[in-house]
Amino acid sequence: MHPTPTLAPVPAPVAAPVVEVTDLRRRYGSFEAVRGISFEVRPGEVLALLGVNGAGKTSALEVLEGLAPASGGSVRVLGADPRRERAAVRPHLGVLLQASGLPGDLTVAETVRTWAGTLTAPRPVADALAQVDLTGRADVRVRSLSGGERRRLDLALALLGRPRVLVLDEPTTGLDPESRRAVWRLVRGLVDDGAAVVLTTHHLEEAEQLADRIAIMRAGTVVVAGTREEIAETQPATISFRLDPGTPQPPVPATVEVAAPGPRVEWHTRDLQPVLAELLAWAARTGVQLHGLQARAASLEQAFLAVADGADLG
Amino acid sequence: MTATAVRTATAVPGGPSRLRRIGALAGAETRLLLRNRTAVVNSVLSPLLLVALVPLFGSGDAPLGQTLLVSATAFTLVFLTYYNLVVTYVARREALVLQRMRTGELTDGEVLAATAVPTLLVTAVQIAVVAVGVVVLGEWRAPVDPVLPVLAVLLGAVLMVVLATLSSVWTRTPESAQVTTLPVVLGATALSGVFFPLVALPEALATGARLLPLTPVVELVQLGLTGRTWQGEAVAGAELWWAALVPLAVAAAWVVLAGAASLRWFRWAPRR
Repeated sequence: MHPTPTLAPVPAPVAAPVVEVTDLRRRYGSFEAVRGISFEVRPGEVLALLGVNGAGKTSALEVLEGLAPASGGSVRVLGADPRRERAAVRPHLGVLLQASGLPGDLTVAETVRTWAGTLTAPRPVADALAQVDLTGRADVRVRSLSGGERRRLDLALALLGRPRVLVLDEPTTGLDPESRRAVWRLVRGLVDDGAAVVLTTHHLEEAEQLADRIAIMRAGTVVVAGTREEIAETQPATISFRLDPGTPQPPVPATVEVAAPGPRVEWHTRDLQPVLAELLAWAARTGVQLHGLQARAASLEQAFLAVADGADLG
Repeated sequence: MTATAVRTATAVPGGPSRLRRIGALAGAETRLLLRNRTAVVNSVLSPLLLVALVPLFGSGDAPLGQTLLVSATAFTLVFLTYYNLVVTYVARREALVLQRMRTGELTDGEVLAATAVPTLLVTAVQIAVVAVGVVVLGEWRAPVDPVLPVLAVLLGAVLMVVLATLSSVWTRTPESAQVTTLPVVLGATALSGVFFPLVALPEALATGARLLPLTPVVELVQLGLTGRTWQGEAVAGAELWWAALVPLAVAAAWVVLAGAASLRWFRWAPRR
């Protein structure tokens, strides 16, 4: 046994990453859909790959899911290769594909029972149905389910084996706001229990609500990654106000980029607090009214739109 | 601090056996088949109708019962097992079911095997029905070698599964299977020795026909049931198994070739 030094502070234990992606590439013929992306996900953490359609999100996930080989780089799930060591990874991996792919002529209960029959340690079927609020629909054929119900069934199957790593490809696309929130609550609960989640989405709100870290993808690369705040900080804050006609213009601080000169003034700056202080001090000194004054930090949406417009951030 | 991932993915002991996994999916597939009345009727009726036509062609000097069983095996394997499986694999692929089944603990082989189970069950029932019919007609003769026909049917079934996985590669929709299966359904069946004995052909052509996938299965069933080689010679005992070597090797070679080609080209998801 190693003697433990009593005085040294014990650092908070950081769980080892259960998903490690290093310089992942994926090529179809001459087209490279994923061009060298890297990320890690630890237990109890949600990573969202955010991007418009065609950004390479699904192509990247298919490698994590073990459904496709990487053309370059490496992917480890729970320390193993998800494709070559599928048998070792799969009992701990829950996968939600973009397309449901369930036969329409089986009932909900039959579908869950069938899937449970193929798993190492499935939850009881009744629990799985209750978890996604489908108990009352157990005897309905899958083809008669609404889009939201079908997505919840997909999710029930993805969760059925009590996975430690969950890969969700657009989990709430096509769902109404209420079902979407229900899915978010469910995923949050799993994460609180220590699951690691990688999901793709093109809904900003979903990334904001669910993800601890976000990677914005464009054309096969991660353009910017970090927490919501870190990503928003890559964009300047905005100050806007209106001046009465004939009033003098405030002096423009050096860090400000004037987006609109007036009468409706809009400033962009990466130094929100000092710029705002300076502006307010000027207004107090000169007695000028700043009508409709607004000051706001950049949002994730701004960063996302900037990426969509082709800006290189971070 | 960078934490490096430790290997924590381990196969869990006490997981479901391969058979239980296949059984779970095969059960669902069987249920799906039974819920599709048209498919049931089609798959059961068409080979039986063909068999019923056999007496019209006459069975030459061979006993009718054995001719019926040989044709029933060939027709069932091609029209039911092979054709149905091509349609099933393509339909499941295009409905994204195959890809979804691959996201769980089932291996690729288990997904394909489980999907084939209902068709293989109907195949077995179909051949058994004809055998019972032959007994009822009073046309049953004890086979010269009872092992060989069973072996031939099993080998033939495996061959039809791998031919079906391979044919699904160039079949875009379940409907287009009507066209893509023609080489096997028409070509291989016509020259299998079911419709006419291959000795009637020039030697080079006969040799070519014996290399087609269905011919060795027909040869083996016939050899086991009647003790006659494809040239009509009567053999028994060690001679019979000696005569069985070439067709066994041809059938095995087809399994290996079609299996390897499927491994290389099989598509689990629709083309993008």
